[in-house]
Amino acid sequence: MTAYLARRVLQAVAVVLLVTLIVFGLIRLAPGGAAVGVLGSGSAHQQFLVEYLTWLGHVLTGNLGRSLRLNESVGALLAASLPRTLVLAGLSTLIALLIAVPVGLIQAVRRNSAIDHVLRGLTYLLYGAPPFVLGLLLILYLAVDAHIFGAEGPQAPGIGGFITDPRDLTLPVATLTLVTIAIFARYMRSSALDSLGQEYVEAARARGGREGRVVVSHVLRNSLVPVVTLLGLSLPQIVGGALVVEILFNIQGMGWQIWQAAVNHDFPVTLGFTLVIGVAAALGSMLADIGYAVLDPRVRTWQP
Amino acid sequence: MRSGGHPRGGTVGACCAAVGLVLLLAACGPAAGSASGGAPAASSGGTSATFAMQPGGIAQYPFPFMGSVQASTFDSVFNVDEFQYLLYRPLYWFGNGTKPYMNPQVSLAYPPVYQGDEVKIKLKRNYKWSNGEAVDAQDVVFWMNMMKAEGANDAYFSTTGLPSDVTSVRAVGQYEVTMRIKTPFSQSWFSSNELSEITPMPLAWDVTSGTAKPGSGGCAGASYSSITVNPNNLNSATEEPAPVSASAKACAAVFNYLTAQASPANPTPTTYANSPLWSVVDGPWKLVSLTTAGNLKLTFNSKYGGPVAPHHITTFIELPFTSEQAEYNVLQDPTAGQTIDVGYLPTVDAPTPPAGALVGANPSTLPDYHLSAQYLWQLSYMPYNFRNTTGEAPIFDQLYFRQAFQLLVDQEGVINGPLHGYGKPTVGPVALYPSTKYLSQKVVKEGDPWALNIQKAKSVISGHGWTVEHGTFTCTSPGTGPHDCGAGIPANKQLKFSMIYASGVDWMESAARELSSNASLAGITLSLTEEPFSNVVGTAFGCTPTKPCTWQLALWGSWTYSPDYLPTGDTLFEGGVFNNAGDYNSTTDNQLITDTLQARTPAEFDAAMHTWDSYATNQLPVVYEPDEANLIETVKGLDIGVLNSADTITPEDWHYLK
Repeated sequence: MTAYLARRVLQAVAVVLLVTLIVFGLIRLAPGGAAVGVLGSGSAHQQFLVEYLTWLGHVLTGNLGRSLRLNESVGALLAASLPRTLVLAGLSTLIALLIAVPVGLIQAVRRNSAIDHVLRGLTYLLYGAPPFVLGLLLILYLAVDAHIFGAEGPQAPGIGGFITDPRDLTLPVATLTLVTIAIFARYMRSSALDSLGQEYVEAARARGGREGRVVVSHVLRNSLVPVVTLLGLSLPQIVGGALVVEILFNIQGMGWQIWQAAVNHDFPVTLGFTLVIGVAAALGSMLADIGYAVLDPRVRTWQP
Repeated sequence: MRSGGHPRGGTVGACCAAVGLVLLLAACGPAAGSASGGAPAASSGGTSATFAMQPGGIAQYPFPFMGSVQASTFDSVFNVDEFQYLLYRPLYWFGNGTKPYMNPQVSLAYPPVYQGDEVKIKLKRNYKWSNGEAVDAQDVVFWMNMMKAEGANDAYFSTTGLPSDVTSVRAVGQYEVTMRIKTPFSQSWFSSNELSEITPMPLAWDVTSGTAKPGSGGCAGASYSSITVNPNNLNSATEEPAPVSASAKACAAVFNYLTAQASPANPTPTTYANSPLWSVVDGPWKLVSLTTAGNLKLTFNSKYGGPVAPHHITTFIELPFTSEQAEYNVLQDPTAGQTIDVGYLPTVDAPTPPAGALVGANPSTLPDYHLSAQYLWQLSYMPYNFRNTTGEAPIFDQLYFRQAFQLLVDQEGVINGPLHGYGKPTVGPVALYPSTKYLSQKVVKEGDPWALNIQKAKSVISGHGWTVEHGTFTCTSPGTGPHDCGAGIPANKQLKFSMIYASGVDWMESAARELSSNASLAGITLSLTEEPFSNVVGTAFGCTPTKPCTWQLALWGSWTYSPDYLPTGDTLFEGGVFNNAGDYNSTTDNQLITDTLQARTPAEFDAAMHTWDSYATNQLPVVYEPDEANLIETVKGLDIGVLNSADTITPEDWHYLK
């Protein structure tokens, strides 16, 4: 297991370096003297690799640069926006998993029953509904009309105020949750259907195991493997979904900041935030692989 | 130029990030036009008001003397009008009712008095800095000295304007400043486009370290004539002239220190409220807090010496928003965690006003607010690229083509369509609304001579040697005769153009698509490309003589006349000036602009303006586009006065009605 972990960590580091190299290269190619903006005047005449290594050296010392547009360091912007997006994406993913896993499992166990059809229809509907439509509908009915929840996300400064304001936090989290549920539930159903057809499930039943115990002990655990993988890989998509939710609910999170930076050619911020998302994606993928190994021992003993 | 989230005019730095979709509200008195909903007010009431900024606002740079680098980001309505001007008042305040004129009542000084080539500025004695010192002549000289030392690093620098057109600046006693100006010059222009740029600076800012004694920097007290720079010795990084004299070096050191303190790596904007520099204010407001996210809280400065309304608010809160929709959502939800007393309504959500009315009904979803429309003092336009290197410039040079092309712009259609009636057509460099003395009555009487007329456009082009082939006009009669295509246009050249326009603004996208559609009906192929605002502006203002300049038409929005409040043309339409994006250059036009700048009396100036306005209306140096209004929602019971066209706000006049 230790060797497997070490191998995955090294792979993750390589992926992150590759991501930074690609992003840096693309930004350098963009019009407007991006490299000069990031590194200061004179850098345009330096070799690409020197520029990249200079930037990487700054990053390794904790200096992500300074926003060309905002009167702030990239680090300060990250510190202000990352926790908001983490809370938003983390809470919605957690809730989505708690709902999607049983929903997918029930659909698989009751395949082609009325409840399966209804849940499948609902998940398709949610899967197809853009976050901004869902969010607007929730705002219209639950905030503007019914006044049950706030029409915007928590506005208190600091993460403490953000997470202790359930009234305003509910709708943005719910919007992102509904979209994420649809993704996970569909995978869970498909994965559970595969598991239900496996010989070990038949064997468990043949040994006289009760259906509930068979589903929980044998189907659920094995069905979670692809969902865990999906969880790790879907992190960038969740951040992408958070962008729309942040714009709609007036939350100055990471998604909104990186979008603002991109359209305003704020290259240090674009680079810094992309680096963080890249690290998160690599980390998510690595954790998914580790989770996969925990759930399926065959993985950790496999040698390429 | 200054616009919503974007810079204001007259400068290189400003332009490069500049222009666009403008905003803002302001001043005293009853609203210009308003409509109410139904239910009773639900304002925060009392002594506090919360103002929701337009999306994308950044108000985080306190130092009013902005270098071009800072100006490209912070020379915006949000940062200047809604932040700096509340703390540090400009010498002369513009915005008088709905008119963009000087407002002597709110200004720090009495109107300037001109005697020959000399101008006398007498400061009012009732204005004090919050540290108790008087706002006096030395504070004005301090700004001018810094401008002379750091002129090329100043956002509003121009080779013909301040400081190069001022030969001497002297403090005469504590409250009077005398300037000597290179002649000839127009008094109106100098007051509205030069003196308007000055913001007095306190002695507390004349320092080069946190422990230095106020005034020890040696810039405020230096004599203007002693400050010399070498224009032939440019800094390789900043391209600003090297300071030569000791006093110039002193001013440069002070500028560098203040700039560093306003954009530091270490102290963040959250520390500005307690800064020994930025807490010294002469405006009506003092900073209480400023967050990284841009939430501003200000409290009334009890030492402010200017006019305020009785029972005015004493706490002013500004909130940033991520999108128009988010702001509208909160406006609709009276139980929201943060109530908005004044905010913006997306045009798309506004019911169309009755014909001839400035403002229509309030949306039924906002019963606690009343709606007002604000028209800014600006020009909405799209430049042609007259220095285009792909062969289209000779076509743009043809007056008949520009006139035909303008006939394809359906301004009324855009105003009544995507703008929901909240817009005004643009027919020349001087806006039709707000109506000003600078507007030619000939233009007013004739109305829009280039209203949509596709058939006429087609006829004009076909009358000049063009024939439609495969749906697109092709030059079949090259030459310079009255019925030929025109100089420089070869045979078989087609009327095919590319146009870039700013993304994210619904009405602008509609306008671009409608123009493309009308053009195709007339036999002109217009290829549209949508790009981020900064890309469009960067492209339009980014051409240099040493590289190919390929763009043809660029639409990004508007140019707000601020802090150069006179639309004299020397900024946008004079040949060779930086902000003349398409490099329109006409001998007659240049002469008419010079006439406005050299008019000796206000009457002469107005007459020169009318002549130039009429000329530019007919010559179409740019494509005139419809001008969008801002829609402001104000909670019932709160009186915020007139919506000002000059982009300034005075929350010290805001008060709740009993």
